[in-house]
Amino acid sequence: MAQIDPAERLLNLIIALTHARTRMTRAQIRESVAGYEPLPAGLSEEEAARRDAAFERMFERDKDDLRRMGIPLQTVVDPTHGDEIGYRIDPSNARMQAIDLTPAELAVVALAAEYWTDATVGQEARQALTKVASGSGPRPQVALPFAARSVASSEAILVLAEAIQHRQAVRFEYASANSGSVGVRTVEPWHLSMGGGAQYLTGLDRDRGQARTFRVSRILGAVRTIGPDGAYEVPDPLPVGGDRGQEPLKTARVALRPESGHALRERGTPAGTDDGWDVVDVEYRYGDALRDEVLALGGAARIVEPAELAAHVRDHARAALEVSRG
Amino acid sequence: MAERATDRVTRMLGIVSYLEANGATPFGELAAQFGVSVDQIRKDVLTLWVSGLPGYMPDDLIDFDPDLFDEDVARLREGHGVSQVRFSAREAVALIGALQSLIASGVAPAAAHSAMEKLRDALGVEGIETSRPAQIPGEVLGPLRQAILERHAVQLDYVDAKDNRTSRTVEPHRIVSIGGVAYLECWCRRAEGYRTLRIDRMGAVEMLDDDVATAPSDAVGFDLQTRFEATVVLAPGARWAIEDLPGVTLEAAGDDVVARFGVADAAFVAGRLLSVAPYVRSVEPQELREALAVQAHAVLAAQA
Repeated sequence: MAQIDPAERLLNLIIALTHARTRMTRAQIRESVAGYEPLPAGLSEEEAARRDAAFERMFERDKDDLRRMGIPLQTVVDPTHGDEIGYRIDPSNARMQAIDLTPAELAVVALAAEYWTDATVGQEARQALTKVASGSGPRPQVALPFAARSVASSEAILVLAEAIQHRQAVRFEYASANSGSVGVRTVEPWHLSMGGGAQYLTGLDRDRGQARTFRVSRILGAVRTIGPDGAYEVPDPLPVGGDRGQEPLKTARVALRPESGHALRERGTPAGTDDGWDVVDVEYRYGDALRDEVLALGGAARIVEPAELAAHVRDHARAALEVSRG
Repeated sequence: MAERATDRVTRMLGIVSYLEANGATPFGELAAQFGVSVDQIRKDVLTLWVSGLPGYMPDDLIDFDPDLFDEDVARLREGHGVSQVRFSAREAVALIGALQSLIASGVAPAAAHSAMEKLRDALGVEGIETSRPAQIPGEVLGPLRQAILERHAVQLDYVDAKDNRTSRTVEPHRIVSIGGVAYLECWCRRAEGYRTLRIDRMGAVEMLDDDVATAPSDAVGFDLQTRFEATVVLAPGARWAIEDLPGVTLEAAGDDVVARFGVADAAFVAGRLLSVAPYVRSVEPQELREALAVQAHAVLAAQA
């Protein structure tokens, strides 16, 4: 059979495996699915081995592509046919659920798909948009007076989300919040928490034998998966802090200059005024995130309590003064 | 970037699903729906047409109406149960993360919230959770949105990064959410230049009668020009705070990291450096050190 486009082969593989009554073995796939080359008779042993290896490589790549597309590939062992593994796709499990988006919702999802400045994450977001668009009515071609761009984004969240789904351990370099030092962490990932600018991973730190929360932006370089799928169970409920595996919720009292710090104001509960400052109580999980938020307001906000957080803000400002003396 | 096989297959499955739900559809509508050219849609339909079940006899293949095809309209006659597939974990986190950042900036259109609700249910990916967003007050956002829509100037109170309060008249063009923070892109009449103003630093906003006379700037968000080159030396553990700055280069120097980058907005970079200040060894040039000192003094004065 003539060489065909990889996309065409992948499409035919999906159709064949979805329609397979029980399963298809590798040999059956190679024989019958358009795009794979069946082994012709009368080849030398060497040539046959070369073609076998080429088929195996191609099939492994296609399996990776199916996984990347989100298609659950079942492996089926049929005891009456020896131990050879067969494959199938369960159509009811693979099919996308209907999403009934209004035209306005579809427009804003299309805008979100362009959010990432990172090429790899952007590609995944656009592929997600393709799926959303295939289950929705016509997409309005309107220009919204609104745009969005990410500042920080990396492939790390993709690898972590996939690893959580497959229960696969990960390894990465991490910059500690407290010491400023870098170390290698091996983690069984449980949970991703997505805030506005920051994302947090919760999981079991294998070397410490304890649950830990990591700020994704402090992961340096690539996240690599290690070991097999299904390597651990995610505890239920998660042991760290609150009910969803995050740090426990705490309350800070923050003073804000009038008409500034709207984000904090809106999240918080008013707690009076103090010498011209508005005081609000703000719930937070991650002290470093609140500290950075207060620092970024450049004097338009201060921490009233806890004292520890106020001290961190001061320490950072003093350190900045020190370094700014040159 | 060349299209990946998975991108194309995902779109081809989507075309079949869309046709199943919507009936005969012009290629032009499919092209708009999936964000590709009409020519690409024609190629996709042709590929689908020769694909199908093993055996690949005429009855095994996906089939389209040939007369309508000649008129650039796709009508599915036989889809063999082909349909769009569920979201992968990677896709789900990329889309939900983006939508979450829009929402977190507090300025996303109302449809973003309802879309998020629907997508969270439909994507059904475990282990990903989103937090409750901030909201910009309606008395700021309402007049801004209306003014952009009706192309009117606005009068607003603004507290800048140095805590100076000013009253400005600006011509609003667009709201942008950058890394979860909301900005207004506008023409500032007082400064006679394009400005990107943080919406959470705005006080009262009032729509004026006079019209917007300027065209929007082409660049999104940081349309400010690079004003000088900076060199910052920091401990490796602090690298995260600056490694995503535009055009940054990093190199190791002993146990430290040397970062070089162009600075457009010194106050913005100073804010970043503040968050890792204990691990910053040196900052060049003087102009950036001054911006850092100004912010640090302001923080210390407040946090006495």
